[in-house]
Amino acid sequence: MAALLEAIGIGKTYPGGVVANDGVDLVVEAGQVHAVVGENGAGKSTLMKILFGIEQPNAGELRLDGKPVAFANPREAIEAGIGMVFQHFSLVPSFAVYENVVMGSEPRAGIRFDRQKAIAEVRALSEKFRLGVDPLQPVRNLPVGQQQRVEILKSLYRNARVLILDEPTAVLAPQEVQELFVAIRSLVEQGRTVIFIAHKLPEVLEISDAITVMRQGKTVGQVKTSDVTEQQLAAMMVGREVTLRVDRAATDQSQLVASCRGVRVVNARGADILSDLSLNVHAGEIVGLVGVEGNGQSELLEAISGLRPIAAGSITIANENVAAMSVIERRERGLASIPPDRLSDGLATGASVAENIVATRLTDRRFVRRGMLDLKAIKAEAVRLIEKFSIRVGGPSQAVETLSGGNMQKVVVARELAEQPRLLLVNQPTRGVDLGATQFIWRTITDARDAGCAVLLSSADLSELMALSDRLIVFYRGRVVAAFINHPDLSPETLGTYMLGLSTQSAEDMKAALK
Amino acid sequence: MSSFAALGRPSRFAALRRETFRALFAAGIALIVAFVVVLLTSKAPLEAFEVLLTAPIAKIRTIGYWIDDAVKLTITGLAFSLVFQARQFSMGVQGQVYVGALAASYVALSPLGATPFGLILGVLAAMLAGGIWGFIPGYAKARFGANEIVSSLMLNYIAIELANYLVRVQLRVRAGVLTSPDFPPTAVFAPLIERTRIDLGLIVALVAVGVVWFLLYRTSWGLKLRLVGHNARFAEYAGIRSTAVMVSAMTVAGMLGGLLGSIFVQGQTYGKITVLFEGGLAFEGILVAIVARSKPLAVPFVALAYGYLRQGAQLMNVRTDVPAEVIGVVTAIIILLVSSSYSVDFFKRLFRRNGEPTPVSNAKPVEGAAK
Repeated sequence: MAALLEAIGIGKTYPGGVVANDGVDLVVEAGQVHAVVGENGAGKSTLMKILFGIEQPNAGELRLDGKPVAFANPREAIEAGIGMVFQHFSLVPSFAVYENVVMGSEPRAGIRFDRQKAIAEVRALSEKFRLGVDPLQPVRNLPVGQQQRVEILKSLYRNARVLILDEPTAVLAPQEVQELFVAIRSLVEQGRTVIFIAHKLPEVLEISDAITVMRQGKTVGQVKTSDVTEQQLAAMMVGREVTLRVDRAATDQSQLVASCRGVRVVNARGADILSDLSLNVHAGEIVGLVGVEGNGQSELLEAISGLRPIAAGSITIANENVAAMSVIERRERGLASIPPDRLSDGLATGASVAENIVATRLTDRRFVRRGMLDLKAIKAEAVRLIEKFSIRVGGPSQAVETLSGGNMQKVVVARELAEQPRLLLVNQPTRGVDLGATQFIWRTITDARDAGCAVLLSSADLSELMALSDRLIVFYRGRVVAAFINHPDLSPETLGTYMLGLSTQSAEDMKAALK
Repeated sequence: MSSFAALGRPSRFAALRRETFRALFAAGIALIVAFVVVLLTSKAPLEAFEVLLTAPIAKIRTIGYWIDDAVKLTITGLAFSLVFQARQFSMGVQGQVYVGALAASYVALSPLGATPFGLILGVLAAMLAGGIWGFIPGYAKARFGANEIVSSLMLNYIAIELANYLVRVQLRVRAGVLTSPDFPPTAVFAPLIERTRIDLGLIVALVAVGVVWFLLYRTSWGLKLRLVGHNARFAEYAGIRSTAVMVSAMTVAGMLGGLLGSIFVQGQTYGKITVLFEGGLAFEGILVAIVARSKPLAVPFVALAYGYLRQGAQLMNVRTDVPAEVIGVVTAIIILLVSSSYSVDFFKRLFRRNGEPTPVSNAKPVEGAAK
């Protein structure tokens, strides 16, 4: 019997000569969960866009039920029974779930929108596939995980037989991932087929039946999930054996470097983003800020770095209250910061690598004297860091925008760690960078820690936090709800119950881990 | 152009070739369109077109007109380049020219004007006035969030009408005349070439090119300014006070605008202030800056080329049957064409405000969700 969906020898070259897909094969059997894994830039997204009709291939063939098909646009793909859920949802926040689901193909009674029928159909679908979404809720009230399931409902409502999920777990807390997996299993049981794009290998191994591995625009191979281990998969993805562990030296963590006391941060409308928040960071330790995004971790890091004013409390670095100081004054006291989004915060992409590297040190007499740039010294510093951090770039005067994502991130890391910082703030250090660069950045952060730097780390990737942190502090709605000293028995699920506000830690337990 | 400086792109010669080719290509198309328009409106189109192409270099006097235009276009082009590099969209050069000219005129017509310091004091007063006029929209933006496009345009009208009023009631020679008395010779730029409009202003413009280049590419202020222009959020994160940089960029550009005002009224062309002396030239600095990609060292070359077309069009108006209105159309088409091959990219960059960068990698932020 022919496979449900096949892609044979797909090639896609974008204008400008970027080869995104080069002879890609994909065979998806009906009623299975098929995972597609690969590093960033391996061509997964391009392949999915071709399957969904957003992009047209330059070469190769798509077959549905063994018959050749070509989709000129997503509408044709939807009509053929293919649905796709993107990382970025397209929902109307003020509309109810059922309105979002039926929008564009509403049930009608005459010329009127038949609301009752729409509600009933959406409710039936949600129950049938165990999605657990209330059709009457406005979408803006829903957590991210439920919004994602509304997107799934949209596809199911349009009779999708094949459902493509593009990195669905990237935005979810562990419990929500489990709920998503329940829904996926229920979909497959009832004869639907799921294509699951991911980069977190344990999840892939848990949910999928078959796995296609992509690397540099090509398919490396297709394997049955039951036949492979995480290490084998990782090796296939990067083309070499990798260790997903981090070795850390024992460090002296007795010296307090930075502390927040009773910090309160409010938003533009005066509502609390952080309330009465206190924590300490010591030399030689990494403190992981755990929490679903939007619970105040980023705002705390912004407040410490001086980008966001605090409404109350104090922030001290090396026994000096820095709450009223400017960004540059804090940086002069040994603060360094790796921001969450390198393109919007961390780099001036139109400027050269050298200019980006000295941008934070324009009060340093080595580079600027009496208002004049010392171009020689700046260039030498850039060359030194390019070599030290093995940034792949033509030279210090090349514009940052010409670099790959991983190398751009290396420019940010190189600048922030150019001098051994006292306090390093790290927010989403490896978001959207490939496994090779991830390893490099992890090692750089742990090296800074081993050399006595105090690190505050926030990440959406729980496994990253657990791999790197000495202590973990859980944020929920702008408060610390739990704190742990990291040890191998600590499970993501335990952290998850606190991240979602399902339980609170006793005061003594918390105190013990807050140091 | 060595304005790409030591920290610029390595392929600077390739980039220079590409940019030069684009500019020439755009100019070529502009000439073709101009020819078509002339063909449709003139009884003797070839003669008219010949005037457009050759008249500016036909006589020493017309060369003087051309160079004079190019000098002024250079200064306004520099002023716009400076604010564009900081990704501000201040349109205030015109207003700065008028307040600068007023300040220079008051100095030149005062007893100070007759002293040996008449010229330099007039220039300094003009730069001070222009700087203030440039500072206002910058400060209003930094302090109150006022849109600098709107506030600088409004300030232009205020300056123009203020100048009109003061020339009519105070500075005029006598009632009913719309010009001031001639400035004393000590308050006027000395001519470089006799019986032409070419005067010391040419030297001033060349010095200004060098100064702006130096400020932008050799000082930390310039690097900060360019970083703010590339990505203001990044600049803040790096500890650069982007609002201070922004206001100072607009102030310095204002000083250039004021300087241009002084070159107008204290130059050989006028040597006095009149109503509406500027004739819309200040605004054409936008075009010069766009074509020059806001690179100060490219500005004088673009100003020369554009000044030539501009002067040719004016001479065509005077000497042939092509009516003045058609000249306006041709000029507009030239501006449209020359700038359009650049402006798509340019406006994309300019309106990519608050540091939202264009996607250059496939790395997407994952936060997502409907907000």
